[in-house]
Amino acid sequence: MVNPILLIAIPLALAFAIPLFGLISKKIIRYIPVAAFLFNLIISISLIPKVLQQSIVVKISGFQPPFGINLFVGPVGILFSTLIALTGFLVSIYALDYIEKKGSTEKYHILFLILLTGATGVALTGDIFNLFVFFEILCISSYALVAYLGNKAGIESSIKYLIQGSIGSSLLLLGIGLIYGQFGTLNMADIANQINSSSSPALFVPMVLMVTGLGVEAAIFPLNAWLPDAHSSAPSSISAILSGIAIEVGLYAVIRILLTLFNAADFMMFVLFLGLLTLLIGEMSAFKQNNLKRMLAYSSIGQIGLILFAISLKTHFGISAGLFQVVSHTLGKALLFLAAGYMIYKTGSMQISSLNGIGKKMPITSLLFTIGSLSIIGLPPFVGFASKLMVIRASLASGDMLFTILVGIILLGTVIEGTYFFRVVQSIYFKESNESVSRSETPVVGLIPMFIFALLIIFIGIYPDCISKILNAASSEFLNRLDYVRSILG
Amino acid sequence: MRVILSILVLIVICLGIVSSLHRIPFGNPETKIGKYCINKGREETGAANIVTSVVVNYRGFDTLGEVTILFLAAIGLGSILTSMSKWSQRKTEPASLILKTGCRFLLPLILLFGAYIFIHGHLSPGGGFQGGAIIASAFLLIYLTFHGKGMNETGSKVTESSSGLIFILLGLIGLAVGNHYFLSNFLPKGQLNDLFSAGIIPLIYIAIGLKVGSELAKVIYNLMEKS
Amino acid sequence: MEFLADYIYYIGAFGLIIIGLLIVLVKHNLIKVIIGLSILDTGINLFLISVGYLKNGTAPIFSRTDLEPGNMVDPVPQALVLTAIVIGVAILALALSLAVKLYKHYGTLDLRKIKEQRW
Repeated sequence: MVNPILLIAIPLALAFAIPLFGLISKKIIRYIPVAAFLFNLIISISLIPKVLQQSIVVKISGFQPPFGINLFVGPVGILFSTLIALTGFLVSIYALDYIEKKGSTEKYHILFLILLTGATGVALTGDIFNLFVFFEILCISSYALVAYLGNKAGIESSIKYLIQGSIGSSLLLLGIGLIYGQFGTLNMADIANQINSSSSPALFVPMVLMVTGLGVEAAIFPLNAWLPDAHSSAPSSISAILSGIAIEVGLYAVIRILLTLFNAADFMMFVLFLGLLTLLIGEMSAFKQNNLKRMLAYSSIGQIGLILFAISLKTHFGISAGLFQVVSHTLGKALLFLAAGYMIYKTGSMQISSLNGIGKKMPITSLLFTIGSLSIIGLPPFVGFASKLMVIRASLASGDMLFTILVGIILLGTVIEGTYFFRVVQSIYFKESNESVSRSETPVVGLIPMFIFALLIIFIGIYPDCISKILNAASSEFLNRLDYVRSILG
Repeated sequence: MRVILSILVLIVICLGIVSSLHRIPFGNPETKIGKYCINKGREETGAANIVTSVVVNYRGFDTLGEVTILFLAAIGLGSILTSMSKWSQRKTEPASLILKTGCRFLLPLILLFGAYIFIHGHLSPGGGFQGGAIIASAFLLIYLTFHGKGMNETGSKVTESSSGLIFILLGLIGLAVGNHYFLSNFLPKGQLNDLFSAGIIPLIYIAIGLKVGSELAKVIYNLMEKS
Repeated sequence: MEFLADYIYYIGAFGLIIIGLLIVLVKHNLIKVIIGLSILDTGINLFLISVGYLKNGTAPIFSRTDLEPGNMVDPVPQALVLTAIVIGVAILALALSLAVKLYKHYGTLDLRKIKEQRW
């Protein structure tokens, strides 16, 4: 059995070594992230059967928790780590041809490797200060990557993202300080052991501070003002990673703090309404967009609202549905951004109206874009249908009249999604373009990752049972705090 | 309008924090981990400076993350600032005689002081980050005094990357031999208060000191040259 | 007065945090906002350190072998603050480089005028 610490240590070592490789030859730098994430993917998949039997606790430096740091590789951790490795692997293959700049592109690849290492670290750690450090690694590398192209839009979006993100992380650190002052320990299991409910103000205030701090990155309303600018000004491969991985990992951190650490019961109702508000505002704002990437960014906000709604139902079915929606959103949104990247590059503009008739110019890319859109809307036989159906069934199964009304709001959101995505598909296929129609398709290196995403979308959509075992195990991990505490502290 | 809203939000935050402060009395902390580290620190890690043993050994993973964040800052800065106007092409006054003489006299002393601080991190207050910052201030003095003195880009790149690699390699060696834990202290711990004691702690701090020094020097150089 | 003497560190730390937050929320010159971020970071670090203070305690360094381990301040918040200071420096460096580039593109540092991205 491989030690899961290698999931974090090896990509970090390769990231430190890239400048040394760059001194030897500039050509092999592009292949290093591909190798690193292939390695991560193989290790994560090979650890899945062991983790489903019993979660792995990795003690770092050999000290017993709570006196040392520990990693907790449970079903949730291995699910996120596999998703991150898979997305990182495919997007780094896409970036072999997409990223080019005069000079060398080694800074892009270093930042890319470290971003995904930070995300893996957030998903696997069991200590709140370690969570803060890896969360900062994730945030700082995304500030630098949003500004990578150096144009007007990129720098402006990056500075706004930076200011909001650093206020958020300062609030997170303040919450961690208040928790340390009361309990004297930084280990998540140890703190969870000493908290029974979060109703006293001494515990409520740190919880709100930490959720606000993490919520800036998780794009919960009203903290998501940075998202449309940042995701639309970044290079397309980075937009795919930000929309597909970074905000989901932020959401995972929020859920871990709320459910495992604080056992919040009535605060979850408030979070549920926040999720619905996020969903509505995201979808309605996406409806009036003319810029393709901004529309996709607002659609990400809507989907995060849906995931938050599903998880705050706090039932076993609800949390599994929420995690399934995470998987389907990552696959679908990454595919959409990758396809949009080359479409924008070939037409030279981000407006939806300039995509007229591109169905004839780039037929394969347009087909893959359509598959991604249909999956996000939630049509069969794609994975978006299976996951949305599961969310709606989970909400109806709680029996309350209130939840049945809320399902109506979700369906309204789906209808709005359908409208704006079909507008783009109509523009691609059924409108004529003004210029000459010559086929200039995406290069093969860019098509391979999109194909694999589309294949996964169709395959998991038809057989959702292939991941239902890990989803159920992950949902039990979130609900059984005492098992979590017992497996770490013994 | 915005001012009034911000003041209201701040009053709410202030009240919230004050109401939760009564559980944290000042001067009488609740320290489970702290007491354990002070009591067992000397035998488990061999360092006389307990803060060092906490930073490098008990919470060594956080230190790895922190080293990565500094690396990120240097790389991010380098990728954003890419202008072509060199410092030497700008009209600046040459430095005065006092500055030049003072720089020539103080430079080796500052470098020596910085190296002393990060080598003796486990015996006296100090450590890798503090020593690295002092070394970077020596480079700042050079840039201020001798205009147009470029930085050896290759040298600083090699120092930075290899120091980071040494840190992770020490952790991976601890995984392979010794205790089979990442970042475990596998070298002999030696006598307390000796220079060669505390296992891998001085090695890690030397690597961190060199890395932080070259990184901050690179950040200062980029900000002066390319803005 | 007893209360003030006891809690002066907390009051100072929260004063800095509130001032820092106020600057970031209200001011519209980018450099002032960045300074506000730095003040906010300083306030939080001061708060973290003062959580670990033991009355009449001494530094946790065994420079002589006969030092008593019972009277030492908590070493863990010092390690946390070390990391937090470095993170603050990294964010400050990135923010300043972005400010330099922003000035090149727009010619002004007024945040009210840097609003090209709209709904």
